[in-house]
Amino acid sequence: MDFAYLKSKRILLVDDEQELLDLVVSVLHSDGYKNIATAKNVREALLLAKEVQPKLAILDVMLPDGNGFELMERLKQSKDYPVLFLTARGEEEDKFCGFGLGADDYVVKPFLPKELLLRVTAILRRTYKEEKSLARLKNSVIDFSRAEVIKDGEHIPLTAKEHDLLSVLYRNAGRIVTIDALCEAAWGDNPFGYENSLMAHIRRIREKIEANPSQPISLVTVKGLGYKLLVEDK
Amino acid sequence: MKSVPKLIRRFVGLLLLSFVLLVVVNIVIVAIIASGQMENARPWSTANKVAASLSQTENGYILSDEAAAKLNAAGAWAILIDNDTKTVVWHSDNLPDSVPMNYTLTDISDLTRGYIDGYPTFTSGTETGLVVLGYPKTSFWKHMWPSWDYQLIAHAPQIALIVLIVNVFVILLIYVIASTKVLRSVKPITNGIQALPSGDPVYIKETGLLSEVAYHINSTSEVLQEQKRQLQKRDVARANWIAGVSHDIRTPLSMVMGYAAQLKDAPGLTEGERHKAKIILRQSERIRNLISDLNLASKLEYNMQPISCKEENAVALVRQVAVDFINADPNIKYPIKWMSDERLTVCRVVADCVLLKRAVFNLIQNSIAHNENGCTIYVSVAEKTEGCVICVEDDGIGATDEQIEKLNNTPHYMVCDENTTEQRHGLGLLIVKQIVSSHHGKVTIDHSRYGGFSVKIILPVLRQKD
Repeated sequence: MDFAYLKSKRILLVDDEQELLDLVVSVLHSDGYKNIATAKNVREALLLAKEVQPKLAILDVMLPDGNGFELMERLKQSKDYPVLFLTARGEEEDKFCGFGLGADDYVVKPFLPKELLLRVTAILRRTYKEEKSLARLKNSVIDFSRAEVIKDGEHIPLTAKEHDLLSVLYRNAGRIVTIDALCEAAWGDNPFGYENSLMAHIRRIREKIEANPSQPISLVTVKGLGYKLLVEDK
Repeated sequence: MKSVPKLIRRFVGLLLLSFVLLVVVNIVIVAIIASGQMENARPWSTANKVAASLSQTENGYILSDEAAAKLNAAGAWAILIDNDTKTVVWHSDNLPDSVPMNYTLTDISDLTRGYIDGYPTFTSGTETGLVVLGYPKTSFWKHMWPSWDYQLIAHAPQIALIVLIVNVFVILLIYVIASTKVLRSVKPITNGIQALPSGDPVYIKETGLLSEVAYHINSTSEVLQEQKRQLQKRDVARANWIAGVSHDIRTPLSMVMGYAAQLKDAPGLTEGERHKAKIILRQSERIRNLISDLNLASKLEYNMQPISCKEENAVALVRQVAVDFINADPNIKYPIKWMSDERLTVCRVVADCVLLKRAVFNLIQNSIAHNENGCTIYVSVAEKTEGCVICVEDDGIGATDEQIEKLNNTPHYMVCDENTTEQRHGLGLLIVKQIVSSHHGKVTIDHSRYGGFSVKIILPVLRQKD
């Protein structure tokens, strides 16, 4: 997948420690993110947000003149955009508080740079998905906006369940998604007893996306655990 | 307290026994006193004897010496009233002056029942007259009207029995009412004493008979509550201190990890330098895990970690943790094999999802941490008779029998009050034990059938309703 369009998104980064700001900026730069604005407190962050109109905010919770939760609420009053908390407060209740107020992700310090980058990319991809609609596989292309698969020039429609399952798999492309997570995505909160239905849906998806459905190369089974969608440009 | 009514019953029993004894003792005392009162009949017999000993001579009446001696010994005097003239025809030498010498029939009737001038009198008849003995004024008390209702005397035993029964009943009633009152005032006291060991605050109204006891129980409760507050305060302070320190370490450690991660892939560095950065990163990750473990372990130890249990599918939960590890290990240095029976898709347990995931995470992390050269990790969930068995095994370096014995039986230094200098094992396993214990399950550590280390978590299964 080509995420170049995501790298141009402006990111607002707020933390009271200059050295940590430098580190995160360097991590984001190294992955191609160029538009990064930094602030060290709530006041600066609010001024900067008006000026640069960010597409994503990465906020610390504990700031010298307020806290990140309040800052998020004030930032979202003017324009709604995703927020990721990057904080030393690792308690479950802090996380629940952040998510409860509408945060898109919550990363506890210390963090691995790669983890932060993956999460930032995932949020941007989810939020600005109008710009992504095609997933290129080995033998086909999935067009999510039209809910169809294009294989050998033929347009094959996807059912709602197939679309849901492929969306989850695509969001986690290259990673295993458990049987339970897929059942939950397709059948809701009480997904017990749908394993056989899931297998049937996977078989039908394979018929649509694979050249040889009995020997899948794009949607592979990880025995006992789940399924993994392999895309060409990831 | 069950012993209080028992105590009351015992006292009532003792009271009844006392009644019986009292009656017996009374009868004995009455018998003794009555036998002592036999003397009271003597003046009448003396009077008879005097009458018999009085003989008429030409010079008048003469009393025998023996009878005269008896009169003198009793301090009594005697007169003989003639039948015809109603005058005194003989008297003893010691007759007081105030005793009249002439009598009417009324006088005689009075003196027979009672007194002459305050002297108690006793009479006996002779052929010619009436012998009257007079005793000293304070020697006898005489009943002047010795007559009773016939029915009263005829039913005396029944009446006495009824009176006795009524008395016993009244006394018992008074006793039971008094006991109930005491019991009522004792009840809050006993309840209070029973509540003290539970650690809940106790307050008893300080009134009534036992107000002093109530006051002391209230004081004891206050002392216990204060001690409990102090202990909680200390535990909270300790857990907060650990939380504070771990919080403060997170930001500097972020920078160490962040830059080390960049350096380990920096193209401008030599292979050796990149390797060093890699080591810094790996050790920093260990510190990160340790901080997080320390914080959770202290919270679990001091009961500060809220546990919110609900029905969970253990298969899904463990599978997710395994997949998270696989997804985070693209180089597959630690391949994870899912060994569960594929037919088992659901195994219901009541658990705190976050904590149980953390326990399984720690077990897998444990295998990784102790096998730097890599190993295969085997994860499984099975529903057996003993419960839901979650097993994490590896084919790594494993542990000796002695180490396994210690891990199974020796408490961690964090929960052990002695020998704190010897660190026995990492916090990871302690947390697993704490979490499983809070879920009413158990942990067993053993050799793995694959050659390495094996840990089993056994949790109670929520069986399907029929």
